[in-house]
Amino acid sequence: MFNIRRSLSASSFRHYQQYFLPGDFVVLLSAILGVLYLFHTLWSSEQATKVQIRLDDKIYATYSLNQTREVHVQGKLGESVINIAQGKVRFVKSPCQGQYCVHQAWLSHAGQSAICLPNQVSLELLGATKPYDSLNY
Amino acid sequence: MTKIFKLLALVALCWALSACFEEPLYHSQSYVFGTLVDVTIYGENNDRANYLANHVFQEFQNLHNRLHAWKPVSENHLSEIGQLNAAFAAGKTPIAISPDLAKMLLEISKLSEKSDNLFNPSIGKLIAAWGFQRDELTPVHIDATQIHTLVQANPRMMDMVVTDNSAYSNNQALKLDLGGYAKGYALDIAATYLRQQGVKNALINIGGNVIALGKHGDKPWRVGIQHPRKPVAMATLELGDGWAIGTSGDYQRYFMINGQRYCHIIDPRTGYPSQHMQSVTVLVPPQATNQSQAGVLSDVVTKPIFIAGAAQSSRMAQAFGIEDYMLVDDQSHIMLSKTMARKIHWSDASVQYTTLP
Repeated sequence: MFNIRRSLSASSFRHYQQYFLPGDFVVLLSAILGVLYLFHTLWSSEQATKVQIRLDDKIYATYSLNQTREVHVQGKLGESVINIAQGKVRFVKSPCQGQYCVHQAWLSHAGQSAICLPNQVSLELLGATKPYDSLNY
Repeated sequence: MTKIFKLLALVALCWALSACFEEPLYHSQSYVFGTLVDVTIYGENNDRANYLANHVFQEFQNLHNRLHAWKPVSENHLSEIGQLNAAFAAGKTPIAISPDLAKMLLEISKLSEKSDNLFNPSIGKLIAAWGFQRDELTPVHIDATQIHTLVQANPRMMDMVVTDNSAYSNNQALKLDLGGYAKGYALDIAATYLRQQGVKNALINIGGNVIALGKHGDKPWRVGIQHPRKPVAMATLELGDGWAIGTSGDYQRYFMINGQRYCHIIDPRTGYPSQHMQSVTVLVPPQATNQSQAGVLSDVVTKPIFIAGAAQSSRMAQAFGIEDYMLVDDQSHIMLSKTMARKIHWSDASVQYTTLP
């Protein structure tokens, strides 16, 4: 590989054709496109991989989103129930009056969060990159 | 063979270095002011950051107890605002207040006047009538006569007479509720404290209002702006050193009656919740020391814009020297100032918006 590089910088186009056949360009191009595609879907779509659950001012637990699981958290008012379902997560039950947290429904993107203020339980979705440091609402 | 060995050594070195240079980012969360408070500190060691953040939370809790509009500090012991309200309701006898509270009240009066009284923290009775002086909101019975009477009583901040250490009100209907000011004030207090302690980089978020100090390492702090109707950030923007951002929306504190939304932002002219906006966001630059600070403005200025509506928004923003602002109206139309449009990065590239003149 290093040899090709060296010869590329040093010599003419004809020289370079000796190493690179037309088919190689197809392979190279599809490799580049493949990488770009994967980068776009796995990286920049900000799909979350984990959920961090907080109780009051402590981190209660961090779970992978890649599973089906029901989490029961004992908050200030009572039990909050959180469902993790293969890539997404939501509050399904809460002892609070407003039920805003339950109405938030499914979350799946990094940076999304749901907070139950009365029960002091919150969840935040984590991904490979964080789209922002803090949320203004 | 040596090549492979060298490569492995290089990989090991990179790994070791990355472990050494793990980001010095501290993050802590607590529930104060009836909402979620986040303190993020960059560039301090963990123990010191933890100590500083705890001090900030403690100060917030003290402020919360002092300024709370309806919760007594303990049984038989009203908050400072509670005592003041009791005295205002009783008559015109001046009551002693602490110098910093006097300063706050004078500042609020000034801000209220600038907003043509649309930002009016003296309508505590109306706020209570709508059931917003509770932790948990439930629909209330709308008593039109009561609301009419409260609007007629016309309490305004300028009815209050404040000296360095005392206050009284010329209007017995005046009842303070600093819900639209206290969180912004607390942001400024925290920013000042952290700066005094030599902290260069921090981000403080009180219930969605955010102030920035310095940067996140070599990049500016980045803040997401909540979509008023979807559980996603509609956009992000950079928050520079000393800048603050605030949003008032109808989606955090509200209740529904027959499909109609009643939010906590009450128009003092009608006595009813304002219903022609979903959210208003303002971005506030650092301010001169003799003026209202960025945190206070980020909390306060959104309210009169929310109530005044889109047509009056630029005049209202101008009155406070604010250039960067964004509105989402009741039809979910997004409108923003030209300067704001240049600073914002949309999450959805196909978003539709109009720029305001």
